[in-house]
Parts: sequence; C-alpha cells; structure tokens
Amino acid sequence: MTRVLVVDDEAAILRLVAAVLERGGFGAVPAATARAALAEVEHAVPDAAIIDLGLPDMDGIELIAALRQRMTGPLIVLTARDATSDKIATLDLGADDYVTKPFDGDELLARLRAALRRAGRAIAVDGVLRHGALAIDPARHDLRLGGKQVALTPREFAVMEVLIGAGGRLVTHADLLRRVWGPAHVGDSDYLRVVVRALRLKLEADPSAPTLIRNEPGIGYRLGEV
Amino acid sequence: MRTSPAGYLIALAGVALVALVTHAALPHLGLASAALLFLLPVLAASVRVGTGPALVAAAGGALAFNFLLLPPRFTFRIDGFDHVVSVAVFLAVALVTSRLAAELRAREAEANARAAANAEQAEFAALLSGDTADVLTRALAWIAARYGTARLIDRNALPAEDPVLSSLDLSAAGWALQGAEAAGHGSDTMPASDWSFLPFAPGHPGGSGLVAVARPMSGTTRRAEEMTQLQALARLIGQARDRLALADERQSRERLEDRDALRRTLLAAMAHDFRTPLTVLAGEVAALDGDPAAKDRTLAQVHRLGATMDDLVGAARIEGGALDPQIEAVDLIDCIDAACDRLASALAAHQVERTLPADLPLVAADPVLLTHILVNLIGNAARHARARIAIAASPEDGSIQLHVDDDGVGIADDLQGRLFDRFARGAGSDREGGSGLGLAIVKGFADAMALTVSAGAAPGGGARFTLALPQRQVTVA
Repeated sequence: MTRVLVVDDEAAILRLVAAVLERGGFGAVPAATARAALAEVEHAVPDAAIIDLGLPDMDGIELIAALRQRMTGPLIVLTARDATSDKIATLDLGADDYVTKPFDGDELLARLRAALRRAGRAIAVDGVLRHGALAIDPARHDLRLGGKQVALTPREFAVMEVLIGAGGRLVTHADLLRRVWGPAHVGDSDYLRVVVRALRLKLEADPSAPTLIRNEPGIGYRLGEV
Repeated sequence: MRTSPAGYLIALAGVALVALVTHAALPHLGLASAALLFLLPVLAASVRVGTGPALVAAAGGALAFNFLLLPPRFTFRIDGFDHVVSVAVFLAVALVTSRLAAELRAREAEANARAAANAEQAEFAALLSGDTADVLTRALAWIAARYGTARLIDRNALPAEDPVLSSLDLSAAGWALQGAEAAGHGSDTMPASDWSFLPFAPGHPGGSGLVAVARPMSGTTRRAEEMTQLQALARLIGQARDRLALADERQSRERLEDRDALRRTLLAAMAHDFRTPLTVLAGEVAALDGDPAAKDRTLAQVHRLGATMDDLVGAARIEGGALDPQIEAVDLIDCIDAACDRLASALAAHQVERTLPADLPLVAADPVLLTHILVNLIGNAARHARARIAIAASPEDGSIQLHVDDDGVGIADDLQGRLFDRFARGAGSDREGGSGLGLAIVKGFADAMALTVSAGAAPGGGARFTLALPQRQVTVA
C-alpha cells in the first residue's frame, strides 16, 4: 500500500486527511510536528507527504526543504495562507503542488494521484519525454501532438521542454523565465505571456479555453492532466 | 578705533615719567640709552592703548628728548648733524614700532573675535544636537538673547501679510529665499528693512527656509562680522531642521510599516483560523452517511461560509490599504480560466459562453486581484443567471472591455446607484447566497489597480458588468 505522511498540528485536520486517504486506498502516516515528521520519514519511509505550512516547531517552508532532502516522493502543501509569495516559495523549494484550505477530499486525492503518477513515470529511454498526447525530443528539437509534428520557435520549444519535463507539476513563472531566458529575466513575465499565447494557438483545440497549458494566476504554469 | 582722551593723557604721563628719570640720570646713562628709554612709552601706548596715543607719545618723546637732553639743553635747537640724525632715527623707530605694535594688537583682537565666534557656533551646535522639535525653539531663544528677536520662516510658508513683518520686510525675506543670500538689515539688499534675513543654505537656491533676526534694540546697525556669524548660525539651524525632518519622516514611516505588518499578520491568522474548521466541517459532512441531497445542501452552506470569509478578508484588506497590486502583463484568458475553475461547482448548472478573440491584447493588472474580481463577477452572474452566462472581451478605444453578462432579471433601478456599496442587495435577494460584499470588493480591487468597473443591462436582458482594462504593449526578446 502507498504510504502518505500527513503533517498538521490540528488534530481534526490530521484525522480528516487520514480518513480521506483511507477512502482513497492509501495508508496515512500522521505527524503533528515537524520533528515527528522528520522521524517518520526515516522510520515509515512514506511514498508521498501532505504538509500543513503552519506548524508550531518549524516554519513550514523550512520543513519542505528538509523533507525534500530526505525523500524523493511528491510533497503536497496544504495551506490556509493567501500570500502568493508563500506558495511560490514552497514550489521553488521542491513542493510538487499545493491545495488551499478549505479543500475538497476528492480534489486532494486527485492531486495526490496525479503527483504520484508523475513521480512514477518511467524516464524516457529513447530521449523522448511524453505527457498525454505530447511527445518532445529535445535533442532533435521535435515536438509532436498526437503524432503530428508542430513547428515551434526556439523559445516556444524551450518553454514546452521545461513544462513537459515537469510532467504536470506547477512551474513558477520565475523558474520558467530563468530556465528559458536566463537569470537576468526572472521578472519579465511579459515574455512568458506572449510565448504561451503563441503556444496555445498552435497546440490547444480552443485557445480561449486552454486545457493543455494551464495557468495559476500570479504563480506559474502547468500542463493539464491527461 | 577711537581712543578716549584718557589714553592720550596716560601716554603723555608715560613720556613725562621717562623725561624725569632720564633728566636725573643723564650723567650715568648717556644720550643713546636715554633715547631708547623714550621708546618705552611709545611701545606701551601702541600695544595697550592705541595708535593715536602712541603717535602722541612718539612726538612728545622726541620733543622732550630734544628739549631736556640734547645739547644745547633746555632749548629746542638742534646743534650738529649727528643730533639731527638722533632725533630723526628716534622718530622713525618710534613710528615703525608703534605701527607694528598696532598691527599685532589688531591681529590679536581679530583672533579673539574669531575664537569667540567659533566658541559661540560650537555652543549653538551643541544646543541644536537634540532630537526633539523644541531644540529649534531653544536655538531661536538663544539668538534672541544675543542678537535680537529671531524667528524661522519656511520657504513654503512665506506669509503674504504678517502682523510683525512689514511689506518691505516680507519682500526682503522673499529676496533672501530667491537669491539664497542674506537680505534686509545689515546686508546690501534692502538694508532699510527692520530684520536681517539669513537663508539656511546660502548659495543654494531652493533651500528650505531662512532665519529672520530683528535689528538690534540699541538702534545701531548690525556689523558685517555679526552678519557673518548669524549666517553661520542660520546654516546650523537649517541643518538641524533637515535632520529633524528626516528623523520625523523615518519614524512615521516605521510606525506605518509596523501597523501594516500587524494588519497583515492579523488577516492571515484570521483566514487560517476560519479555514481550518471549515475544512474539517466540509470533510466531516462529506463523509457522513445519509440523504445525498441533504449532504449537498449542507456542503453548499459550508462553502458559502468560506466564500463569505474570503470576502470579509478581502474587504479588510481594502479597508486597511493592505492591497499592494503587482501590475504585470496578464493574459485575460488565464484569469478567466482560473476563476471558472474555482467556481466549477457553481457553474455546473449553467451554460458558460466565452468570446475571447485569439489576438486579444495582454492587459496590465495584478493577476491575483484580477482573478479575485472575476471570481466575484462570474459568481454573481451564476447566482442570478437563469441558464446562460456570457464572458466576452474585446479591444475598444485603446483599452480592453471585459463583459460578464447573465440572463437573469437584470439590475433593479433602485439598486443601480449603490450596486458597488457594501451590503447593497436587491429586494428579496437574501436567498441568493452572496455575502453582500462581493461587488464592493470588485470595486475596491479595481480601484486599487486603477481599473474602472460598471454595471448595466445585457443585450438580451439580464445584468452586464463591464471591466475596462489598460492594454499592455509587449515586445519580446
């Protein structure tokens, strides 16, 4: 059974998330403090973790960094915080996704399953990365949608390479800009908007209701679930 | 420098004393030594008393030497060339030494005056070194005690009329501020004024003000040295004032930042404390066995509570000025998409039409605030629509017009004017499920981003909300 570490200092949330996980066929490993969470990582070796950011003994953002060093499975952040900057910080430190309170049990399960699927994805042997109907071969500068080659500019291709490489994980605007345009351009989200608009025109069935390249306003882009 | 008659008398008395001594002791002294002794009163007078008495002592000495000592004695006749030379040399030495001594005296007086002025400035600077506003008052009192009544005049607060300052005084003050040099009494500019005006920063037009010092009560004219000293003091006052203004500004900024930080912390804590129990409540209800319809109704109420909470936090942020819009290039499609996602359950029963041209320009806005606006507008449409919601955007007159239309009953006339007020609701709309804050937040967030939002009638009946957004010109590297 897939074991999921649940870290939250509120006993009621801990119980609730455990119940949701059991309903979804997962095993829950509860921890009420950051210290307990770090101990359980060694002891129970969980496959994934769901973490509340407001813990009494350690800043949630620090805990993400500490867990990321100790486990490879997906980390999902539960947050009641509004601040966009907190969400970006957790993603930049290696969290895979975040779910805002109040959340829906089914939504949480869906996010968890998607994250686990991404983590379990076989690494391409032939150098080709896949995401649903998308297949990208970076070495040959070749992107195919449903087997049909799509002509992309170098920037468009680089953005798709990062997004497909993340496999549906949310990639922050700053991260995309840094990797495609370079560290000097982390603030130039204008560039990204224009390139994503062009990509949607080439890849989406309905560019005004995109399903492939999704945006979390103020945070980043991800590829839609397939 | 004027010397009192007593000085001359003292000088002459000195000469008489030397004359008496040399007259008595001539046989032992010899003429040359006697002549040297007559230089003593000249030196003494030039160092101690003044140049005039020294000259009198020199002349008196020469006459006495000639009359009493120089043969033929007791006559003013001079016999022999060597005696003429003696008297001439005596006079020359006496004149030169008295000149030199007088110069020395003047130097010493000057140095003393400078030391006094410096000491005064140091004392004044120490007086101004405090951090409280009353140091300026104390400094003005200090000047008033030494020079004359003093007051500060701010550059921006030069009065057109004043109970104390005449129109001549005021124009002298204006001149001092304009030209950044001293004006009024004691200066070259409008000296007829009753006040001296000394700018804070002479030579730097645009200084923040000046010090005005009334002319001396004695009625005498203020001397150039006094003006120089007052100018130095005015400069010190100007520096102190700038320093105080800076400290003041820093302090009020810190206070403001503290208050904002506290408000943000409180809002975050409030949001957290509401959301946690709501999450538990929703989770527990979902896990209950029983009538699915009743469960859905309960869940809908829980979600409504959550939305109300969000609206309250939003209203508090607007009220507290805690909004800090980060304007960037935004693709409207992204925000509309995110808003529809968040409203998925509320929109499930409706048909949502999007009309967004593929070449729709990017807009300049804060993506998070804009998404929140759209959640509220589309959520509002979902509560009032019968079956259909239309979201359309198009460029118009250089801006982007975004319409959110519903096919409900439209906006009642009595509500039209106060639609964006807090807790404005249509009659009988209590069951609609809004918090009464949604549209007020739309307005508040739009104001924070300098966007305009308006309401009217949709083409097919129903309500239309329109947001006008500035177009963002982008060039891509």
